[in-house]
Amino acid sequence: MTAPAVDYTALVEDERVHVSLYTDPRVFADEMDRIFHRGWVFIGHESEIPSAGDFVTRPLGEQPVIMTRTAAGEVVVLLNRCAHRGTLVCAAERGHARVFACPYHGWTYDVDGTLLGVPYPGGLDAGFDKREHGLTRAPRQASYRGFVFASLGATGISLAEHLGEATKLIDRTCDLSPDGAVELTAGWVKHRCSANWKMLPENDSDGYHLGFVHMALFRTVRSQYQRVVGEEKAIKAVVRAWGQGHIEIDWAPGYEQPFEWLGGASDALTAAYVAAMEHRYGRAPAQQRLFEGPSHALIFPNLFLGETNVAIVQPVAVDECVHWHTPIFFKGVPQLNGRLLRQSEAGMGPASFLMPEDLAIAARNQAGLRARHAEWLALTRGLEREHVDAEGRTVSHVTDETINRALWRHYRAVMTGA
Amino acid sequence: MPSDADARTATDFLHLEARLADEGRYAEWLALWTDDAVYWVPATTDPGADPNKHLSHIYDNRARLETRVKMLQTGVRWSQAPASLMRRVIGNVEVRAAEGGELGVESNFILGELAVQARHEMHWWVGRATHRLRRVDGGLRLAAKTVVLINAAEPLPNLGFLL
Repeated sequence: MTAPAVDYTALVEDERVHVSLYTDPRVFADEMDRIFHRGWVFIGHESEIPSAGDFVTRPLGEQPVIMTRTAAGEVVVLLNRCAHRGTLVCAAERGHARVFACPYHGWTYDVDGTLLGVPYPGGLDAGFDKREHGLTRAPRQASYRGFVFASLGATGISLAEHLGEATKLIDRTCDLSPDGAVELTAGWVKHRCSANWKMLPENDSDGYHLGFVHMALFRTVRSQYQRVVGEEKAIKAVVRAWGQGHIEIDWAPGYEQPFEWLGGASDALTAAYVAAMEHRYGRAPAQQRLFEGPSHALIFPNLFLGETNVAIVQPVAVDECVHWHTPIFFKGVPQLNGRLLRQSEAGMGPASFLMPEDLAIAARNQAGLRARHAEWLALTRGLEREHVDAEGRTVSHVTDETINRALWRHYRAVMTGA
Repeated sequence: MPSDADARTATDFLHLEARLADEGRYAEWLALWTDDAVYWVPATTDPGADPNKHLSHIYDNRARLETRVKMLQTGVRWSQAPASLMRRVIGNVEVRAAEGGELGVESNFILGELAVQARHEMHWWVGRATHRLRRVDGGLRLAAKTVVLINAAEPLPNLGFLL
């Protein structure tokens, strides 16, 4: 007898969600299937594998994949599983390969996944066709500005439909490069969290917690987030829901100086950068971009554009997840890389000054949710003051739960197949 | 070759540093460091790692070390409030003479951490540390410390304490 299906329409209401969505292993299994194994998921960036034969291995939901660059220069996403007995064909996290050789029975594959060799071919049945036994490619794969996404579902909406207007969030970050491109070449740090994976995108986009969760940092040093921990009405930053579960915090309305997103910067550091930006985009657009800075946004479900970092949300179990991050290098301005590395280490990762607090609180949330007397979490903050802007996006004060509501409504649509 | 006395003093220094870190004696721990200190915890075990090209877990100068310690001292750094219970064992200590009369020390460590902030998880941290110790005013000060965790590139839980 199969267990009754979870009713997501009943568990996700417009203004509150049921705690079992964070704690029920059946929900986690459904999410892996419907969100991560059918929908579009961020895998990595093309700049991580610049040359033919370069590869990185990643999780796609619960499944191991390899992102490689073929001899023809194409980026492909392959399941990391020998077609013979299922062995991981690639155990390294990144590297360069001429072929992928399975260590079990010596089957070899081209880096594009094509089966090249099977030892002792005398035992193969007459109808064995190598073309049918390559490494499985993700059924669908697409890129936007070097950001590679894959879907294990053979059918469904296109990446363009999934991203919708949220391509502008990716543009905002990439357009801070005078060459129009970002490079993710510094390597990743992986930060383990004893909480349900959905707490990471919710917290990454939460403008309400800063002054409390990060109180120790604010008491110790000045940072670019100082403007969002003052008196409520003085806070100008906003949250915005872009549709399809893509959500954003925009700090820029609260900025008063260029380069606040970089924690401030001397002319010596930025003069050549400003000149290159003005040369490429024109003076006014360049000045505007450098003032507003990069996106702080979640691209549903697992890509977080964390200002000068890119992060990946990796679900592991109903009460465990991993937050990956790497600093963004802006192509054409290598002189910023040192600052960007140190800024990344300050903010993100297990030993940094921001994320350990976020993940400690997420683990406390997960532990606290075991108290089931109250079964619902209300998401009503800001209902009375949010509004829809001319582009159809819902906007509100940065501390409002506008974007939680947007995230959960999209979640409900995906989980119910609506 | 360092003298036996140097080797003994350097080993004592490592034991003192470990005890101060284990017991959350933050100000005393910070006072061990020189003003030009570099505290590096790479995010990879690759010996070719370059902190100017690759992301690290920690790459602190003196100012950032002070921020790290001051945050712990606020009592509201939630990843260490309440503070983890810790004890570490240092072994395989090798002391060599380094440039400028400094001492280079390599050692292995095992650190048991009870992370009491939420689920009371036991974490085991294992790695190799390299210390560069400078003679200052008749004693030793810590000029540089690099800690390579064996699982540096794996998903790590919070590392808000002093490694």
